[in-house]
Amino acid sequence: MLDVSRVQKELAECNRDTAISGVSIALHDGGSDLSRLSGTISGPVATPYEGGTFQIDIRLPSGYPFEPPKMQFVTKVWHPNISSQNGAICLDILKDQWSPALTLKTALLSLQALLSAPEPDDPQDAVVAQQYLRDHQTFMATARYWTEAFARRSSVGIEEKVQKLVEMGFPEDLVRSTLESVNGDENQALEMLCSS
Amino acid sequence: MSDAEEAKATASSPSAAYPMAVDSLDDEVSSPFQCCVCLDILYKPVVLACGHISCFWCVHKAMHGLRASHCAICRQPYVHFPSICQLLHFLLLKLEPVAYKRREMEILVEEKAADVYSPQFADQLELEKLHFGNGSSSKKFNDCRSGDFERSDLSENCLDHTIKRNISVDDVSCSLCKEMLYQPAVLNCGHVYCVSCLSDLSGEHLQCQVCQSFHPGEFPNICLDLDHFLEEKFPREYAVRREQVQHKKAQCQHVNPSPNSVQKQKPMAQVPSGGMDLWLKEDVSDVHVGVGCDSCGIYPIIGKRYKCKDCKEAIGFDLCEACYNSTSKLPGRFNQQHTPDHAFELDESHMLRNILMQRDNRFDIPQQGLEVIYVPSDDDLHDHENHGDEGSGSEEELR
Repeated sequence: MLDVSRVQKELAECNRDTAISGVSIALHDGGSDLSRLSGTISGPVATPYEGGTFQIDIRLPSGYPFEPPKMQFVTKVWHPNISSQNGAICLDILKDQWSPALTLKTALLSLQALLSAPEPDDPQDAVVAQQYLRDHQTFMATARYWTEAFARRSSVGIEEKVQKLVEMGFPEDLVRSTLESVNGDENQALEMLCSS
Repeated sequence: MSDAEEAKATASSPSAAYPMAVDSLDDEVSSPFQCCVCLDILYKPVVLACGHISCFWCVHKAMHGLRASHCAICRQPYVHFPSICQLLHFLLLKLEPVAYKRREMEILVEEKAADVYSPQFADQLELEKLHFGNGSSSKKFNDCRSGDFERSDLSENCLDHTIKRNISVDDVSCSLCKEMLYQPAVLNCGHVYCVSCLSDLSGEHLQCQVCQSFHPGEFPNICLDLDHFLEEKFPREYAVRREQVQHKKAQCQHVNPSPNSVQKQKPMAQVPSGGMDLWLKEDVSDVHVGVGCDSCGIYPIIGKRYKCKDCKEAIGFDLCEACYNSTSKLPGRFNQQHTPDHAFELDESHMLRNILMQRDNRFDIPQQGLEVIYVPSDDDLHDHENHGDEGSGSEEELR
C-alpha cells in the first residue's frame, strides 16, 4: 500500500524551495489522489531546453517507495533518452536502480540532469539518438525548436488563447477545459482538440 | 493506504487519535535520526553492515525476496536482515519520546492490520535502566528478547512520557570497553561496539560478546549518524575517547610493527559471508522466496529451510540450515512465541517448484507461473503477504 504520509512529506519538502531547485510537484489536475501527481521541471540553462517548462506525469504504484514511481514527459521533448512519441523516459533510477531513499524530488532533479547530459548510447528514441551522434547541429536546432514550440509557457493571457482557438472553430467550453487540462499550453491544447 | 485506514477505523486502541499524516514535519526534519525511507523519525532502528540506519519495517520492506538486497543509501549489497539496535531504540525513546511514541502507535496499527509484529521491548526496562545505569542493561535486553510480552500493554501506558529525559554517557556506551562509544559499529545482532574494540577481538569470525552470535558477512562500517550525534552531544567525552583510541593505536603499532588493528580489519572485510556466494549463481531453484531465517536473518533462505511446526503465527518461524544445526536460542524476528521445545520439519515445497519449473520451462516469465506454483505451499503465501506489499510483492520480487 502507498505510504501516504511519506508522499505528503515529499510534496511539502519539494515545493519548499521550488524557486531554487527548478522542480515542483502538484496533485494531478488538482485532484486528491496522491498516487497521481504532476511534476514540473525547468529546462537547464546552457542547453537547448533552456527557457522551457516541462510537465511530467507521475504515477505512484502501490508499492511506492519500495517500487519506483512511473514517470513520463507530458510536454514533448527532443532528447535521445526520452521518446519523442510518448514521452517515455529511459533512466536507470526509474527502473532497476531505484532505491527507496530516493524521492520524487531527486528523481525530477535527475531528469533535469538527464536533459543536460544525454546518453545517446543508451537511447529511448533511436531516431533522436542517431541524430544526436551523427548530426549534432541539427539535433541542437530541433531540440531548441521543440522547446520553443512545446515547452514555452507563453506570456499570452488565457483569454487570448481561448479566443484564438475559438476562432479556429472549436467550441468555447471545450477550448477552456482543454486549455485547463494542459496548464494553458496552447500548442498542446490545439493538438488535443484536433485529435479529439 | 486503504488497509491502514481500515485498520485505523477498526482499531479500538487510542492510536485512532493519532492521524497517519502528521503535521509535525518540522520537528522531525530537525532530528538527526530520520529514516531515509519513511522520512519520519527512525522507529526500531536497524543498522546495516554499511553503517546506514533505517526503521525495522523500512529495511524489511526494501529487502529483495529473491536475491541479495542493497542498502537504500549506498547500495552496498547485504543478505542478512539485522536485528533491531536496542541501544538506538532506547536512545531515541529518550531523545524524542513524543514522536517515538506516536510512531509506535502508528506502526502498531499497521502491524495489527497485517497480523505480523516487530519485536517488542518492554518500556519498563527504560525506567530500570535509568536507575541501574547501563552496566547490566545488556543482560536485561536479552531477558526481554526471549520473554513473553503483552502487546496490548504497549498502547495503554504510552502518553505520560512527554518530558524529554536527559541522556547520559551510560546510554551510549560500548558493550565491550564500557566507555562511551567512539566510532560505533553495529553487529548483525544489533549490539554496538567501538570499531577499535571490534578489531581487537580475536578469532576467525566476529562474535558478539553480549549474545554470542556470530556476525555474518562483512566487518561492519562505522555508523556515522550515531558517531556524529555523539560528537555533537558529548564533545568533551568524545575528544577524550578519540585521544584514548588513537593513543592505543599508536602503542599497538609500536609494539607490533605491522599495524594490527588495520590489518585485522581488512581480511575480515574480504571474507564473504557464507551465503553471498550462493547469490551470485543464476540458479534460483533452491531459493525460498520471501522466507528469511529467524536466527541469523538471512533473507531469503537459500538451500535447506527448516520450518517450525508449532509456531502459530502466520509468518511462521524458519531457520536456515546453518542456524538449524547451531542450536540457536534467539527469538524470532517478528515477535513469534517460539520456544526451544518446538519441533522443526524440513521444508520440501521447493522440490515441487523445481519439478514444475522444469516441466513448464518458464524461467523467464514466472510472474503468473510462480504464483500458481506457490499455492501448494500456503505458508509461503502467508509470508508473502506479511512481507509488506500485498499482491505487487510477488511481482516485485520476481522481476
